[in-house]
Parts: sequence; structure tokens; C-alpha cells
Amino acid sequence: MTSVFSPPGFNFSNQSRNDFIAEKGIPMPKATSTGTTIVGCLFADGIVLGADTRATEGDIVADKNCEKIHYITESIRCCGAGTAADTEFTTALISSNMELHALSTGRKPRVVTAMTMLKQMLFRHHGNIGAALVLGGVDATGPHLFTVAPHGSTDKLPYVTMGSGSLAAMAVFESSWKPNMSRDDALQLVKDAISAGIFNDLGSGSNVDACIITASHTEMLRNVEMPNQRVEKERQYRFARGTTAWKSEEIRKLVVSEEVILLAGGDEMDTT
Amino acid sequence: MEHSFASPSGHPQPHQRHFNPYSENGGTILAIAGANFSVIAGDTRQSEGYSIQTRYAPKVFRLTDKAVLATNGFAADGNMFVKKVRQRLEWYRHAHSKDMPIRAIARLIQTMLYARRFFPYYVYNILGGIEEDGSGAVYSFDPVGSYEREACRAAGAAQSLVQPFLDNQIYFKNQTPAHGTSHPAHLPLDHVLELVIDSFTSATERHIEVGDGLEIYVVLAKGSTPQVLDRWQGVTEMTTTQDGERMFVIRRNLKRD
Amino acid sequence: MFLTRSEYDRGVNTFSPEGRLFQVEYAMEAIKLGSTTVGIRTPHGVVLAVEKRVHSPLLESASIEKIMEIDTHLGCAMSGLTADARTIIDHARVTAQNHSFTYDEKIKVESVAQAVCDLALRFGESVHDEEAMMSRPFGVALLIAGNDELGPQLYHTDPSGTSMRYDAKAIGSGSEAAQSELQDKWHKQMTLQEAQILTLRVLKQVMEEKLDQHNVQVAQVHSVYSHPFVHCLTASQVTAEKGFEILDETSLKGVIELM
Repeated sequence: MTSVFSPPGFNFSNQSRNDFIAEKGIPMPKATSTGTTIVGCLFADGIVLGADTRATEGDIVADKNCEKIHYITESIRCCGAGTAADTEFTTALISSNMELHALSTGRKPRVVTAMTMLKQMLFRHHGNIGAALVLGGVDATGPHLFTVAPHGSTDKLPYVTMGSGSLAAMAVFESSWKPNMSRDDALQLVKDAISAGIFNDLGSGSNVDACIITASHTEMLRNVEMPNQRVEKERQYRFARGTTAWKSEEIRKLVVSEEVILLAGGDEMDTT
Repeated sequence: MEHSFASPSGHPQPHQRHFNPYSENGGTILAIAGANFSVIAGDTRQSEGYSIQTRYAPKVFRLTDKAVLATNGFAADGNMFVKKVRQRLEWYRHAHSKDMPIRAIARLIQTMLYARRFFPYYVYNILGGIEEDGSGAVYSFDPVGSYEREACRAAGAAQSLVQPFLDNQIYFKNQTPAHGTSHPAHLPLDHVLELVIDSFTSATERHIEVGDGLEIYVVLAKGSTPQVLDRWQGVTEMTTTQDGERMFVIRRNLKRD
Repeated sequence: MFLTRSEYDRGVNTFSPEGRLFQVEYAMEAIKLGSTTVGIRTPHGVVLAVEKRVHSPLLESASIEKIMEIDTHLGCAMSGLTADARTIIDHARVTAQNHSFTYDEKIKVESVAQAVCDLALRFGESVHDEEAMMSRPFGVALLIAGNDELGPQLYHTDPSGTSMRYDAKAIGSGSEAAQSELQDKWHKQMTLQEAQILTLRVLKQVMEEKLDQHNVQVAQVHSVYSHPFVHCLTASQVTAEKGFEILDETSLKGVIELM
């Protein structure tokens, strides 16, 4: 007898069925992936995170302006690359848990806490959750920047890149990153790194999103650069009325009028 | 995984390694035939996986004064195939003292492709140009030589995006004409060029392997006037002979992301 | 001829000090022994006519085949060692079929003549790697008549591997007299029927026997060029293009009566 209540966490009950189907040669449905360039870098006063805005399904662009910098807490944000659903769900879950953690401890939560929660969750699922993350923020102990790989391993570095455009972006960091950069210089460097991904990696494209986190303030810069504006079409593609053929026509009345005849008595409320 | 594992019997099992001689280099091509012209176009991006190999690798090639060949698929095979077709055209010119007619080029391409039936050129070809009777022609091929003369054809990475658009706009599929009117059999050149450009800007928007540059070849039949091309930017004339067919190429930029 | 025999007769590919290839020249002599063959080109088509030597009353003259079709739009007449012509015509037929298979168009008459000439010189000792060749030159000359996009044409090929285009040409034993007769009588605007009659008159002059439908063979090609896109003929054209056509005895008899 199966329970009508689902246990918490993932449901694996279809796993053996899906394995059987896969063995028959029917492929599993493809998940939307954020082909992606995501980066983060440390500067004098905090962290700058950056991301492109292209989402792909195979070689087709699924979303030309998606958001890849996810909210964890006010001063901690997380860029996601990999399977879109996994990065969205995982960051949202950790965001909730971070809020609960803040409520129960009465303190502003730390970046390491989010990092630990993320890596424990990813490790538990053996890489089946396809999330590659760049986690950054500022807490009581200062600015912190991490990468979290899908299997749960983490790195703590002054500048990081992830996603299919990571090599293009890292090339920019390796050539130009310096310690203690100004806010403007750091933002420009992140824009350059994301642009390198947008133009040189087919999995990345469209616009640049950035997020600047300092101890006092977090600034989300949505579409800070838009180097790939849509070009105007040569023609209008509007069809004249009557272009679509139809087989038959049927018109139904949606307003139904009906007459209610009140029978004498018997309908009053019994108030005895 | 690269090491050989001991089989249950204890002996190492021989295992075969496969060399894959093909790759897929993205991009898209298309051609549209008019009453007395033919338009053959392709983007210029060449990619492998998520990397751009070059932003300018032509996929459309002039063969004769009145024939243009567009190739798509595995770029190395495409380039080699064009080279071999050109060699055959030269031999033919010497043997028969005339340029090969487009109908004959189409048949030649079939025989050349079918000759490699069991190790094919991994290439989709579209041949465009002017027929002996002065009509615009488009021939499309599969990698082993099945071919057909058509009014329009798209091939390559964004074929599934562009062909339905062309079916709707060229063949007027799923469009019922207004009462008492009918759809034209051929569209004028400026209209066709607009459709070609819009096909590529749209494919660039939604397909990651399409972009960077666009090359549109226009072949005009003998005696037709090229005035309509005046409104377009970046037109270069490639005609080499007098009083014959005229050939133009229009080069445009596409988005580079 | 035998008086001038020298060691240069031995190798088919050996030049004499005077720059002659005797075997090729002897092969040309073989043609001079052959039956007379005449070809005439007109703006309306080409006519070929050949004398059939019926040297025995028991011989079925219909079995002598001196004109053969190469493709629907061209054919040839021969003089000399007619057995050798089979090899050549086989080659020409294959070349024509290969062309239409590969290019979806009719091969040009000139290209067929060239293909025949390419074969004509493949005699002598084979060089390694090359296909086995023939031991001696062909002993036959051809008149190739056909029609292509350039109109009706007549070509002559001989054992030396040269081909030339003619308005009218005679080969074989009576060729000298026949050629001068053609020179006198040929004019630019001949009709096809005039050409038929002229070929037969020329043959008649050089033939020993009395010419009739059994001892000559005639063929013709019409000039109506079927363009690949012209599928139907206009109403005024009653007869569709026949291409290369060898006249049967009935129609041949009709032409002879007109002489």
C-alpha cells in the first residue's frame, strides 16, 4: 500500500522504468541547459559576479535573456551554469534554508554556510544534479568567492569562471586581474570576461548581467551591457484576415437564458 | 577507462578503438529560384562544438558564369568536393569546348556523390544558377547524390528553422489566397532578397551555430536588368563576360554571439 | 610498296628516318581498298550512304552492316576493315552513354569523333600500368554524322587518329572520283532529299554493279535539335525528331526511284 503523502526530497520511483526505456533506445527528454559563461571576482571592497543571459536546448537558443545570478541572501548571490532547473531549484532551496538559518541563529548567515549546504546537497546526489555554481558574497568575516562543481567539490579563489565559456572568461581574468582593484575596474573586468564568453563560446550569448556585493550594499546590474541587440527585419510578416483555412464553422451561444419559476412556499429557511 | 580490463577468464580482451573521420561544422545555406534569377546564400561562421573556428569561411562558391554551389556539413569534405567539381568543370571545358550547363553540373554532382556511396562526402549541397532556357534554377542534394530541382531549399544547422519559413513565404503553404486572387509562381528579386536576409537574421537569433557574416550570390539571366540591386548595400559584381548572365555577391554582417 | 619495305615496318611505333609510321600508312591503304562511303551535311541534317559489295548471289545483302548507330542523335558509316570498326563503335557507344549518364545531356558529335581518335592511337607495345593495347592500327575509317546544339555535323576519322569536319566527304576505293563529284555538286542550301539523291548518284558513278536498294545502305540525321526543355513540338512540325535513322529497304527504294 503506497502512501498518499510524498516523502521529502527527490522521488526515484521511476528510475528503473526509465533505465528500461533508455535501454530500448528511446532517449530521455533533454533538459534546458544554460550553456553559459559565469564569473566572479574579488576586488577591494567586495565581490563582483557576472553572467551571460543565453539559455539553450541543444543548439537552439531557448531564452535570449534569462537570469543566471540567483538570490541566496541579501549579501550572498549565486551564479548557476548547467541544467537550468537544477541551478534554479538548488539555489532557491539553499536560499530558503539560509533564511531559516538566519532566523534560528539571529545572525546574518555566512557565505561558507551557503557553500557547505550546496556542496553537501550536490555530493549527496552523486552529480545527478547538474549544477555548476559560482557563489559569492560578503559576511561578518569579509568577502568570499567559491565555485561549486556538480559532484560537490569546491574551490575558494580570488577570481573564478564556470560554464562552457569558462575558458574564454578565465583568459581575460588571467591577463588582467589584479589584487585590490577598484569597483569600476572590477566591474569592467567582469564585463570583459562575460563578453569574451558571449562572443567566443556558442553556448553563451546575448547580454551581460552583473552583481556588485559590498559589506554595506548589494547592487544587481541586470543587462548592464547589451551588445547583441536584435536587428530590424526587412519585411513585415502580418497575414491578411482570412489567410487561415478552416474546415467547418460552428457558432455556439455562451449566454444561456433560463427562467426560474418559484413554486409557492417551501423555500424559506427553517428558523424554528 | 582507457586501460584494458581483465576479462572473467583472466586474459585481457582485445577492444577496438574507433576513429571518426567526420565532424560537423555548423552553419546554414539556402537558395531560391526566381523566374529569371537565382539567389544562393550562406552564413560564414565555421564552428566545432561550442567553439568558433573562424568567423569567415565561405560556404558558397562560384562554379561558372551561371552556376553557384553552396555546401554545408563537414567543411573539409565540402571544400574538397568543390575543388573536385571545379576540376571536372575544367576538364569538361577542355573536352567539349563550352561551359557545363547547370543541368549537367547537377547530374555530375550526383555521380560524384554516389561514387562515394559507402564513404560519403558528409556534405549537403545546393546548386543554384541559370538554366539553358534562361530560367532560375535550384538543385538540392543529399550526401549520397539524391537530387531534385526545386524553387527553394534550406540546408544545414538551421534547416529546421528556415525551411518551414520558406515553405510558407515561397510556396505559400498554409496560406489561403484572398477570394478571387492566386499566389504568384515566382517572386521578384528584391522580395526574395528580403526573405533571404530575414531567414538568416532569424536563424542567427535562435541557432547558436549561425552568425558572423552572410554572403548572398545573385545570378541574373541574360538580358535582365540589375537595377533592383541598387537599393542594397555591399553589392559586388562578379561578372566576367559581356552580354551573358550577370553575377553579384552581397556581403552583410550577422550577430557575432 | 613491297619494294620500299624496310626494318621500320617491324615496330608499329617506330618512326622511319624520314619521319613516317609505315604501319599507320599501310592502315590508310587498307581503307582505299574498302567500299565507297559518302557523307553530306546540309542545314537540315546529314546523310550517309555506303556501297555494299554483294560478291555472291547467295549472300544475304541485308546482313551487311556498314552504317551503325552510336547514340540516338548520331551514327557512323565505315570503310576498310569493317571488323575493326566494331571495337571503335563499341568504344564510341560507351563514351556516349557515359556522357549522358554523367551529364544528363547528349554528347557532342565532335566529342565522339575525338573519343574515337583517342582510341585509334592505342596500338603498339603496352607501357607498364597502362591497359593492354591493340597490336596494330585500325584498318578502318569512319564518317560520323550527328546532330547536337551546334547543328548537323559530319566528321571523318582515320587510322592516324585525326578527325576533321566536312561539308561532304567520300572515303573508300572510289573516293577520289566521288570526292571531286561532291565538290562539283555540293552547295550550301541543299535539302535533305537533295543530299540523299546526291550521295546515291555519287555511289552509282563509282559502283561496278547497278545500284539498287540491296547494294547500298543510307542513313540520315535530322537537324531538329531537341532542347532539353522543349518537350512538345509545335503543331506545324508534323514529324517528331527521329534522330539517327538507317533507312529501311522500302524508303531506300523510294529515294532510288527519285534519282
